[in-house]
Amino acid sequence: MTLADRIAAFRATLEEWLRGLYHGMFTHPAYEKVEAEAEDTEDAFMLACFPDAFGIPSPVSYYTAELLPYLEDEYQSWERRMWDRQSVIERKGHQYHF
Amino acid sequence: MTQFTFFGGKGGVGKTTVSSAYALECADAGLETLVVSTDPAHSTADVFDQEFGDDPRPVEGYDGLSAVEIDPEQEVRDHLTELRRQLNAQLSAAMVNEVDIQLEMAHQTPGAYEAALFDRFVEVMRNADAYDRVVFDTSPTGSTLRLLALPDLLERWIDRLMDKRERSIDLFEKAAIGNKEPRRVMDGDPILARLQERKERFEFAGEVLREDAAFYLVLNPDELSIRETSRSLETLAEANLPVRGLVVNRLTPEPEPREEGRGATYLRQRVETERDRLEHIQGEFDVPVVATIETRVEEVRGHILEDVAGDLEIAVTDGGPARTS
Repeated sequence: MTLADRIAAFRATLEEWLRGLYHGMFTHPAYEKVEAEAEDTEDAFMLACFPDAFGIPSPVSYYTAELLPYLEDEYQSWERRMWDRQSVIERKGHQYHF
Repeated sequence: MTQFTFFGGKGGVGKTTVSSAYALECADAGLETLVVSTDPAHSTADVFDQEFGDDPRPVEGYDGLSAVEIDPEQEVRDHLTELRRQLNAQLSAAMVNEVDIQLEMAHQTPGAYEAALFDRFVEVMRNADAYDRVVFDTSPTGSTLRLLALPDLLERWIDRLMDKRERSIDLFEKAAIGNKEPRRVMDGDPILARLQERKERFEFAGEVLREDAAFYLVLNPDELSIRETSRSLETLAEANLPVRGLVVNRLTPEPEPREEGRGATYLRQRVETERDRLEHIQGEFDVPVVATIETRVEEVRGHILEDVAGDLEIAVTDGGPARTS
């Protein structure tokens, strides 16, 4: 193996590591943040659809009940998130990686 | 073009009688007419002395007249059953129970009854092509009038829901990195499709109510009834559904001038009080009194109904919507 080849191999590895580091430090948390935000919006949607789950009567829950057969995943994760969530701060805190 | 006429008013003022009589008048004028009753007690059956069901059925003995009786509670039950069926087909067994509780809850909220009724109203309106005139004998004031104000409110609600859903899907799509499949996709989202369908229904109902419907309120010459009417007028005005006229029912008949004695005196006094109230009604509300109907000795049914129909001064052609330019 020539010196040039070894330098090239080293640079390739370094590049991969750097990209990984960049992804781990910046890109991934950013995507995670977007996803968390999406989940939050979805929670708001679910809450608006089924406020009676928390004892708040809604004029449209009769209609939104029709959505339930299509909301399997959403409903399940929504319930889980509602259980898990101690406070808004706690959830928002997840977004920051220290 | 089918025209829809609604009769509303406090419980027990004679809405069924008035709407049946009006329907009869329309049928006599050669219009294909349908009476829709939403009173769970179903007094239409008593007026015409025959049974009606959930589907329109011709009224025996009258040409061009059909009737249908809607039972909102049954509607709610049917809706629940249908959703349960879909649920069992779509969801895993573990989820069914969980979601079932939610379903049950949704069908016991105070709005469920009204929503079911509203659904049926819209259905009747959609399938009304066979009739020239559809007369709604609505159940007592509060719920039904609020019901008619619903489309606007519901449309706004659905709009908000759709907006939220769209935003969350959008974010999910953005959160998908590289060729990872996003957790939700906008295209063909069944939730958005369902909401859209609902929204169109509300729009349809709102349009029909504003453009092809006429509202009448029935009242008796007593304080309670007058006050209730004043509230109903406000509700309908707020919903932008102007009332075409008032029908004053159950007026006391005046005795002959030569008649004396306790009975006659009582009647005369009553008639006087009622005349005052009638004047009050005419003066206070800016909606015209389109008919006054005297109390009948017997229950109104059979040929007496035709009698009452004669008392109604709502011109049949007048029942249609005002063409505002």
